[in-house]
Amino acid sequence: MGKKVSRRKFLTYTLGGTAGFLASGVLFPMVRFAVDPVLKRGAGEQYVDVNLTIDQITETPRSVEFTVHREDGWYVPEGGEKLTAWVMKDDNGDVVAFSPICKHLGCTVNWDSNPQFKNEFFCPCHFGRYYKDGTNVPGTPPTSPLDRYKTKVENGKLLIGPVEKA
Amino acid sequence: MLKAIYDWVDERLDITPIWRDVADHEVPEHVNPAHHFSAFIYCFGGLTFFVVVIQILSGMFLAMYYVPDIVNAHASVNYLQNKLAMGAIVRGMHHWGASVSIVMLFLHTLRVFFTGSYKHPREFNWVIGMLIFFVMLGLGFTGYLLPWDNKAYFATKVGVEIAATVPFLGPYIASFLQGGDIVGAQTLARFFALHVFFLPAALLGLLGAHFILIRRQGISGPL
Amino acid sequence: MEKKHEQVHYVGDSRVRVNREKMYPKDYSEFPGKTEAFLPDFLLKEWMVAVVFLVAFMTLVMTEKPPLGEIADPTNTSFLPVPDWYFLFIYELLKFNWAAGKFIVIGTLGLPGIAFTALLLVPWLDRSPERRPFKRPIATGIMLLVLVSIVVLTWSAETEHKEQLESAPGPTPENTKVIGQNEQGHKLYQQNACVKCHGEQLEGSNGPSLLGIGNRRSADYIIKVIDEGKGTMPAGMFQGSPQEKKILADWLVKQKQK
Repeated sequence: MGKKVSRRKFLTYTLGGTAGFLASGVLFPMVRFAVDPVLKRGAGEQYVDVNLTIDQITETPRSVEFTVHREDGWYVPEGGEKLTAWVMKDDNGDVVAFSPICKHLGCTVNWDSNPQFKNEFFCPCHFGRYYKDGTNVPGTPPTSPLDRYKTKVENGKLLIGPVEKA
Repeated sequence: MLKAIYDWVDERLDITPIWRDVADHEVPEHVNPAHHFSAFIYCFGGLTFFVVVIQILSGMFLAMYYVPDIVNAHASVNYLQNKLAMGAIVRGMHHWGASVSIVMLFLHTLRVFFTGSYKHPREFNWVIGMLIFFVMLGLGFTGYLLPWDNKAYFATKVGVEIAATVPFLGPYIASFLQGGDIVGAQTLARFFALHVFFLPAALLGLLGAHFILIRRQGISGPL
Repeated sequence: MEKKHEQVHYVGDSRVRVNREKMYPKDYSEFPGKTEAFLPDFLLKEWMVAVVFLVAFMTLVMTEKPPLGEIADPTNTSFLPVPDWYFLFIYELLKFNWAAGKFIVIGTLGLPGIAFTALLLVPWLDRSPERRPFKRPIATGIMLLVLVSIVVLTWSAETEHKEQLESAPGPTPENTKVIGQNEQGHKLYQQNACVKCHGEQLEGSNGPSLLGIGNRRSADYIIKVIDEGKGTMPAGMFQGSPQEKKILADWLVKQKQK
């Protein structure tokens, strides 16, 4: 009897092993194929020359429009994707580029657009406000500071990259 | 732990007899390649099913990237094959699997024919098998168009023209297949629908019937 | 004990019995070598076969990249349509005279219809209880005949398609200059049917371009093709004398490309 049980066990293990081989042989390429976008995430980071020299950037935020070439799989939108950034120098003299997307619900923020709130970024949708350094004003809808674009300076010109991940 | 879960389910649903019936049925020695090597001819049916499973799985994964639209179809196939990891392999499995499944199905049909296994009491299962054969040919025909390259386009055009020669009904069949007056955007959309929804549904239903009948009637005896 | 007094208990208000008999695996060791249980004994063997099959299949998949042609172009008149290989035999059937033109229905609906209906009704067409193939020669014979004709039809369709590909108009070569425009060979070329398929400037229209033919072919080969035809080109298209044919072939050989 003991011998029988071990035979059954052995058969079960071989059967499981064979099943595992068959399943993984078939599924491995397919799953790898499906998760490819996950593994390629963030690849192809590109910096765009926004046609702005360092000297032109002041302490006052200015709106800069630039287009990013975006490849959406097999679909490449003509003319790329239009983006805006608020570009300025912070207190240390470093260049900062804020994303204009409000952290509350995704409206677009403006600098100094509301006479009531001087020298602040203001979102017209729900009156969200940010200080000049991008920090959200406590008590207004946004719960975190504005996103920053990665920036680079090459040959005295500003290059804007992707949004920094917090 | 696992046993407790199983017992809990089994108490309510009484699932033991279902899988026991499959697990315990006796398989005669004349179909067992371990006894006579020549019994491998009895494996073609199972292998056909295996390829069908590969086809269904690879098809589902391909559908994550493919779009059935005359502007983007070719570009999306090109993208999934050349830009994605293992894309060529997954598409290869589906592409070559289509041919291999036809070959296996053909060999299985020949085995059943030459061993006379379609005779009393298995006539009905032969008919179901033939219907499976037609559905598989339909899957081959509709799937051939989907990459939307020249080969696909012109082969489908010929196919539709062949269908159009049927007396009286021909032009109607052709318009139905085309979804319009030409082989174009609408043809691609409906071939896609046929290929991924209608025909696979029919195939699964027929396969279920095929297997239930095999379990009912058992494997045909030795010659 | 009488059956009617037996108490039947159900799980809750369901129809599943509480004290139902559990099923235990049979012991097949009592019938050695005759039959065995599907699980796990037979399934293991079946899966071993599947493993061998999968390895072979994946080898095929990894060595042969699935083909993807140029995007479909309905205006491409030179593309030779060809169905997937398992439809080739029907395709080839339509090339026979008795299954084409007025009789196309025979090829598209008649023969395949009869064949498939017969296949569907095989159990009622072959009603003898005999199962061995040699004991029912008619059924076996018909099936073998059909098999052979399918193989032959598929094979001839394949070779024919390959030949047609050769005589199909290919891409026009870069050098588009016809050499020796004033020679007698050029005149002969234009006077005969050649010009209709191979083009005014040898650029090819229904047939392939002959520009640069001198790089690839000899005069003898060209004369052979003129006499016997090739692919879709019929034999005996040249109407002139053998001397003229030689002049034409020599002139064509002069069409060389750098």
